[in-house]
Amino acid sequence: MEWKAMKIRIVSLFFLAGVFYGAAVFGQSEGEKLFKQICVACHTIGQGKLIGPDLAGVQQRRSEDWLTRFIRSSQTVIQSGDPVATALFEEYNRIPMPDNNYSDDQIRAIISYIAENSPGGPGAAETGGISPAPGRPLSEAGEANIQAGKNLFEGRTRLNNGGPTCNSCHNVKNDALMGGGALAKDLTDAYSRLGEAGVKAIVGNPPFPAMKQAYQNRPLTETEVFDLTAFLQHADRVRDTQQAKNYRTQLLFSGLGGALVLLLLFGGFWTRSKRGSVNRKIYDRQIKTI
Amino acid sequence: MDVRAQISMVFHLDKCIGCHTCSIACKNIWTDRKGAEYMWWNNVETKPGTGYPTKWEDQEIYKGGWEKKPGGNARLKGAGKLRGLLNIFHNPHLPVIDDYYEPFTYKYLDLIESPAGDDQPTARPVSLITGKPMDIKMGPNWDDDLSGTPDYARQDPNLKDLSPAEQEAMFQLERMAFFYLPRICNHCLNPACVASCPSGAIYKRGEDGVVLINQKVCRAWRMCVTACPYKKSYFNWGTGKSEKCILCYPRLEAGYAPACMHSCVGRIRYLGVMLYDADSISEVVNNIEKDVDLVNQQLGMLLDPFSESVIKAAKENGISDSTLKAAQDSPVYKFVKEWGLALPLHPEFRTLPMLFYVPPLLPVMASLSAADHGEQAKKMDPAAKFWNDGWLYNTSTEELWGTIDQARFPLKYLASMFSAGDEEKIKAILKKLMAVRIYRRWKTVGDVNEEKAAAVLKDAGLTADTAEGIYYLTSLAKFDDRFVIPPAHREQAIEMLEFAGDTKGSVGFGFKEKPERGW
Repeated sequence: MEWKAMKIRIVSLFFLAGVFYGAAVFGQSEGEKLFKQICVACHTIGQGKLIGPDLAGVQQRRSEDWLTRFIRSSQTVIQSGDPVATALFEEYNRIPMPDNNYSDDQIRAIISYIAENSPGGPGAAETGGISPAPGRPLSEAGEANIQAGKNLFEGRTRLNNGGPTCNSCHNVKNDALMGGGALAKDLTDAYSRLGEAGVKAIVGNPPFPAMKQAYQNRPLTETEVFDLTAFLQHADRVRDTQQAKNYRTQLLFSGLGGALVLLLLFGGFWTRSKRGSVNRKIYDRQIKTI
Repeated sequence: MDVRAQISMVFHLDKCIGCHTCSIACKNIWTDRKGAEYMWWNNVETKPGTGYPTKWEDQEIYKGGWEKKPGGNARLKGAGKLRGLLNIFHNPHLPVIDDYYEPFTYKYLDLIESPAGDDQPTARPVSLITGKPMDIKMGPNWDDDLSGTPDYARQDPNLKDLSPAEQEAMFQLERMAFFYLPRICNHCLNPACVASCPSGAIYKRGEDGVVLINQKVCRAWRMCVTACPYKKSYFNWGTGKSEKCILCYPRLEAGYAPACMHSCVGRIRYLGVMLYDADSISEVVNNIEKDVDLVNQQLGMLLDPFSESVIKAAKENGISDSTLKAAQDSPVYKFVKEWGLALPLHPEFRTLPMLFYVPPLLPVMASLSAADHGEQAKKMDPAAKFWNDGWLYNTSTEELWGTIDQARFPLKYLASMFSAGDEEKIKAILKKLMAVRIYRRWKTVGDVNEEKAAAVLKDAGLTADTAEGIYYLTSLAKFDDRFVIPPAHREQAIEMLEFAGDTKGSVGFGFKEKPERGW
């Protein structure tokens, strides 16, 4: 009886899962899916430079082999001394492109997606090029947005989808904030390095492996991205007037103070403890030869 | 009624001569190894004295045993859940090695291997812990026979209830007396060591009540060392585990008496099964307000092995017929229950110890009377030195109980050891012991008349048959009368763990090398 009901539930669960998966997969091509997931954070097709170069017509400028190697690990290509790759790295402020562990087929799908949407490609007329969703321009941001972004960054407000707080890995030099983690890049000057579109793209769709993993199933909402970008812009603007935090001496002294408190506490517990031997008086009287 | 069996013991202190043979037998078998040098699972103390470890009876120092506040349940004095947790990394009431003694040996080889020189070689003492030469400061029986000494006898914790005048009288040169107190683990019914162990390493064996420490589970918290009010759990600094008397259970299982009992030259030790009601443990320990009532309550828990209802309940609990038979023949049952001669040591610790002591009648109070020894002097060689000091050390008495009432030990002292302060209980036992002595004196020596013998028996509440029984078990008892050891039924225990048929066909003897013409 119960098992029958269970069986129906399980079967319908699988059925529903299949429907959703199919819709997600078959609604867009593999290349489109990957490009919008990863590449669009830094690159456009036919919409100009972002953090990385505009990829319109890149399939004609570079060989497929070179593209495959560069997409898989740009740093390996740069370190191998490839002049084109090195020049690109220098041109784009030495911001490394993250590695992508994709199969040849997947990379081919991305390249063909770029080709389709490049000027002259079949999709280009329709889409007019690919770029990240523009969203609200940052110029609309006010003091309230900066404050909200600060709270999000510091973790005072929980991220809507439950993603980890920014300052567990990143630090921003700002007097209103407590110091952040040292696990990832300091974001004090992120805004001037990446610009509005770059910051928004990376925050909204992080391409870096650790960050990607962390936010994979817990993406930030559009408002959160906007507020955080507003805050980073503000932090960048005022950075010269802020003090860097130094926790070392503070930690040392609070540790010593804590130890002292604990010692006093234990001393209180053990005031009535047995000290030394019951026989001490006798032993002290005995003649010693050693 | 939850009937269980306990291997229990009686030590007859009147017969102990303080020879330490028991201690040596135990040491040679169990504690003559690294880390255990200082341990004496069996030790013999002189009373009054401070014992081993020093002042073990003073629970204000070591915080052992249970304590009961009026109206509340009994709680461990120095351990328990909260106290144990607070002190788990540093138990503040532990005895230190100097409370026991630093174990030592001598460099005997120096005596025979030293090169020839102007002086005699000596064997220097070396520490068994550090291996370096040391000054011997103390031993496990350092206060042996030192009654009256200010450092030892006068520091006895049992003297605290005696008035200064009584104490002074006790240690006057003419009245000075002492007796010996051999001690092993009491294998208590309510063991504080078991209750205190944070690892649950200590357990009381179901079949015979022997309290054991599982060496694999022990984690060296050492709570048992402080919790045992008798200080009979010891920490082995070599293995990092605690150890205690195991009542020679491998010997018991094979039908032998424990080594200390087997070797006792005074034959003071008796061992047998006692049946008790486990349901009443909590009642006795938690609900009896006055320490003085504890002895009667504890003796009340011990059941009559001849009673039909007890036998029925025992069989329902899986106690075998052979164990019941042993309980009926138990010398411990006779001393403790039938004759009421033996009492537990320090019942006020509330651990319900199952080792009982017959309190010592000795020393007999003597009187001095005038006598002329001139006749005797004539029989001696003229060269012999002879003092005719004109007095006689006379142990006979006109009054029936004169010696008990004027005993050199105040009854209070014995009462503080064996009955939580109840002097009447001690007096009743001493009367019985004295009555048997007077009765036998009439029988064998004949200088007491029959009327007097009958009168003392009646006064002490004994019949001639009982007096004969006490006399037999005290003075004549053979090995099998003193130790009634029930079969351990190890075959049943083994069959619970493995299939005994597996070893069939693989016993007998074999060959180290294959026989040439064999299979």
